[in-house]
Amino acid sequence: MESWVRFSAQSQAKERVFRAAQYACTLLGYTLQKGGAAAELLKTIKQLEAHLSLSRKLLRLGNSAEALEAAKRAVHLSDCVLRLCITVAHLNKAMYFACDNVLWAGKTGLLPQLDQNKWSQRSFRYYLFALILNLTRDAYEIRLLMERESRSISAKSSLASPSVLSPGPENGEFSPGFSAPPFPALPVLTARLQRQLHLLISVLRNNPPLLLDLLKNLCDLFIPLDKLDMYPTSPGFVGACGLTSSILSILTILYPWLKLKP
Amino acid sequence: MESFITFTNQSQGRDRIFRATQYACALVKYLLRKDSTRKELLQKLRSLESNMSSGRKLFRLGNTVNSIDAAKKTLYLSDPVLRLCLTVANINRALYFICDNVLWARSLGFLKGIDKERWNLNANRYYFFSLVMNLTRDVYVIAQLMVQRSRERQFQQKVNQHLNESPDVACVIIPQLDAFLFLLIESLKNHPAVALDTIKNACDLFIPLDKLGIYQTNAGVVGMCGLVSSLIGILSVLKTSLKMKP
Repeated sequence: MESWVRFSAQSQAKERVFRAAQYACTLLGYTLQKGGAAAELLKTIKQLEAHLSLSRKLLRLGNSAEALEAAKRAVHLSDCVLRLCITVAHLNKAMYFACDNVLWAGKTGLLPQLDQNKWSQRSFRYYLFALILNLTRDAYEIRLLMERESRSISAKSSLASPSVLSPGPENGEFSPGFSAPPFPALPVLTARLQRQLHLLISVLRNNPPLLLDLLKNLCDLFIPLDKLDMYPTSPGFVGACGLTSSILSILTILYPWLKLKP
Repeated sequence: MESFITFTNQSQGRDRIFRATQYACALVKYLLRKDSTRKELLQKLRSLESNMSSGRKLFRLGNTVNSIDAAKKTLYLSDPVLRLCLTVANINRALYFICDNVLWARSLGFLKGIDKERWNLNANRYYFFSLVMNLTRDVYVIAQLMVQRSRERQFQQKVNQHLNESPDVACVIIPQLDAFLFLLIESLKNHPAVALDTIKNACDLFIPLDKLGIYQTNAGVVGMCGLVSSLIGILSVLKTSLKMKP
């Protein structure tokens, strides 16, 4: 019970739980519709989903300030790629929250003349930019870690067999080997790809925060892609992605060591 | 901005802001009810108020657990009166939250078979009992403070000075009442948290008193009391020294 009290005291934590519930409703509604359930039940689930969505908008009313503060903090990061990606991602999130607040005012009736469709599209566009920047940051971190890992592997292998002097395929992962032919044969390519894949898997396995963040951003990506009609899927798929990313996000709140820093 | 973020990050902080807005809407609605030119504004206020209210009902979904946890903690207090008052108050709050959650489910279309009026009545009753227990605790703490203060020699000198410096006033107002009020104010001066908590609970009391028909006022009084108690609540979250402990 202690952990629930501490958990729910954080506004963000409650919002994540409602997000998980909202996308669970989307998924459930889609599944029940396909399964031919009663119209009454579908209507209730749709009402619950709309209620959760509007209430979450209410709960997010101050979040622009938080995103701006996070952007201010990110400006001081040492790594320039991380600095760029994270700052611009937070700024986009701040814009997304601002559009979201305007949408809330429109849905509540405070701004009855508001073009809800236009503002909804706008908010999803900012959300998409923020997600793309987060994924870029994830890719950059993965690349850095893979380079480090491959260097440590080659250092270990050169220690193990010091007679190997010529740069072999293990050493020359990211820089083209001078002795490599311009168009390597297919077996060499597949071997190289396999090594890259092994490296990627080992990097992700040793860095659960990075893996979690990558999965979360990938799942989240399908939501604006569907809403902006760039890659339309089904409401069920969107619901499943939203639910997965919400659960992963709840995990990072419950276990703070799983949160990717900075 | 930092303090705003820390404040809103706490679930309770956000809820108090929404509560203050909800009761402010109710108050303004009451004040403008006769104004026919403001129909659009009244409509907006009505929808904002109902939106805040339904959102808050959703956010309160887990609060039963919080109240039961608080009741478990107050069970170990040393003072028996405090132990009784606070534990019973927390249990009543937990029951109020259960009724509130059931009403939330009903409003969305689940649990269609339940009697909405009866559950509403019970919710108000439990809320009323918890407020009465909280006020009892406030009165007990104030009485303790007053007894403690009256025993101080420094205070006894002060009260004699006060009664002697305006003898005409002391004759008009009953000297015992004057001395009592003086003692009350002196005791509460150094304990603003107790004073604020008493005012907050007293204001909150008008809400269930009106809903249960025990002491019917009007929507304006209810709105004003709700707004004042929410503002005091916001103060106590912002400045933890103003929050009454335990």
